[in-house]
Amino acid sequence: MNAQPTQPVALTPAGGGPQAGRAPAPVWSFVLLFVLFYWGMVYFDLHGGWFNPQVYTPYATISEVERYQPPREGPDLARGKAVYETVCGLCHNNDGMGKPNQAPPFVGSEWVLGSPARMIRIPLAGLTGPITVQGQAINLSSMPAMGAALSDEDLAAVLTYIRSSWGNKASPISAEQVKAVRAEIGNRTQPWTAGDLMAVPEK
Amino acid sequence: MNYGPLIFLAAFFALASSWFGLVLTPQMQIGHLQQTNTLGAGATYPVARPGLARRGIEVYRANGCAYCHSQQVGQTATLCDVVLAEAGTNQAALVAALLSVKPALTDANAVQLMAKLPQTVLQGASREVADTVYKALKASGSKAELWIVPTGPDLARGWGKRRTVAEDFLFDYPVMLGSQRIGPDLANVGLRQPDANWHLRHFYAPRLEVTGSAMPPYRFLFEKRRIERARSPDALDLPPGLAPGNGYEIVPTQEAKALAAYLISLRADAPLFETPMTVPAAPGTNAPAATNLPAPKAFGAVNSTSPARK
Repeated sequence: MNAQPTQPVALTPAGGGPQAGRAPAPVWSFVLLFVLFYWGMVYFDLHGGWFNPQVYTPYATISEVERYQPPREGPDLARGKAVYETVCGLCHNNDGMGKPNQAPPFVGSEWVLGSPARMIRIPLAGLTGPITVQGQAINLSSMPAMGAALSDEDLAAVLTYIRSSWGNKASPISAEQVKAVRAEIGNRTQPWTAGDLMAVPEK
Repeated sequence: MNYGPLIFLAAFFALASSWFGLVLTPQMQIGHLQQTNTLGAGATYPVARPGLARRGIEVYRANGCAYCHSQQVGQTATLCDVVLAEAGTNQAALVAALLSVKPALTDANAVQLMAKLPQTVLQGASREVADTVYKALKASGSKAELWIVPTGPDLARGWGKRRTVAEDFLFDYPVMLGSQRIGPDLANVGLRQPDANWHLRHFYAPRLEVTGSAMPPYRFLFEKRRIERARSPDALDLPPGLAPGNGYEIVPTQEAKALAAYLISLRADAPLFETPMTVPAAPGTNAPAATNLPAPKAFGAVNSTSPARK
C-alpha cells in the first residue's frame, strides 16, 4: 500500500488558466443604441399619430385632421334632405306638396314659414284635429310624433330643410332651439291641436 | 445566484411585449371600429355588401386577384381651394377683394372673372391662406366655397376621390388589400366600371376591354354550352375571333357573376371625418356642396344595422 499522499493534480493549469480580466462595457454600443432609440422616438412622433384610429397619413395628429375639415357654415341641407326623405316625405311627399287625404302641404304654409316655436312643437308631439293651411281647412287623421325619436341636430336639419326648400324662404332652425323647445314641453305625449299651437307665443 | 426566475421573467416580458404590440394594440386601435356617420349627411358608413358581392369576395380571394391588384388608395397631402360661386350685389367690394387676393389681376380681368362664375380663385393653398381668402371674399358679400382637396399620385390617376381608411374595409374579412399594382387599383372600381358586362367580358378576354392588358384570361369562370331554344340573355357578345362556333354560347357561371357583383360594389368615396374632403353636390339638388352620400335609402338602413358612432 502506498501510504504516501500523492501530489495533488494541479486544478489550475500552468499559466493561470482563463482569467476574468477587465472588460468595460462598450460605450460605442450604448451611444449607437441611444441614437437609434432617439431616431425611433422622433419617427414615431412624426408618423404614428399616437395610435389614434382616426389619424392617417398625411395628418400627424387629430388636431390636424380637425383643422382640415371642410367648413360647416350655414344649415346642413344635405342632412336635412336625407332625414326628410326618410321620415317626412312618405306622408308629406318629397316635393313638399303633401298628399291630399294624408298630409298637408309645406310649400308656402304659414305654419312652416311662421314662428319656429310652433313649427318645432309639431313633430315633437304630433298634431291632431282640424287645421287651416293657406286658407284650406284640413281635417285628417292625426300626425304621430315623428320627430320625437330624432336627435336635436337631425330635427333642426330637417326643419331647416323644409323652411328653405321648394320656394320656402325662412330662417334656419338650430339644434339649440330644438333643445329648448324639448325642455319646455317636457315629456308631453298628447298631440297638439291648432288651438294649442296658436296659444304658443310667437317669440 | 438563482438565474431560473430571472430567465423566466426575461422570456415572459419578451413574449408579453410582442403580444402587446402585435395583438393588443392593433385591437385597441382598429378592432373596435364600427359603422360611423359620413360627414354632413349622417348616413351610416359603410353599408354591408349585398349578398352576391359577399360571395364575390370569396371568388376574388380564391383566384388570387390580390396578387396583382391592390385596394388601397394613398394620399400625400391635403390642399384647399377657394371657389367663388356667386357674386353678391356689391360688385365694387368684390372686385376689391379679388384684387387683394390675387394682386396679378387687373380690374378688367376681375370683372371678366365675375361674369363667368363659378370660378376657382385659389388653388392648392394651405388652410390658413385659404381661410383668409375665403373670409375676404365672404366679407364682400359674395358666396364663396372652401374646398378641401386631397392630392396624391393615386388620386391624380383617378383611382379614387380620397384615400382609403380602415372603415372602408369594415365588412371585409379578410381584407384584400393587395401589395402589387400589376393591374390598376380596385378600391373604387365600382365607380369607374359599374357595368357588369364590362367586367364579364374583361374576365373572359382582358384584351377585349383593355388594350395591351397583362391580365390572364379567366375562361374557367365561364361555360361554353349549346344554344337550346334561344340565346341566353347572359351570353357574352364576343368578336368573331373569340366567339364560340355556331350554335354555342359563352355563359358566365355564378362565380363570374358574383365576382362582377363584388367589383361593382367596390367604392370608397364617402367623406369621413378622418378623410376630410369636399364633394360638389349633384346637379339639380337644392343642397349646396355637401357630401357624396349614398342614396337616401341608405339612411333608412340605420334602423337595421349596428348603432352608428355619433
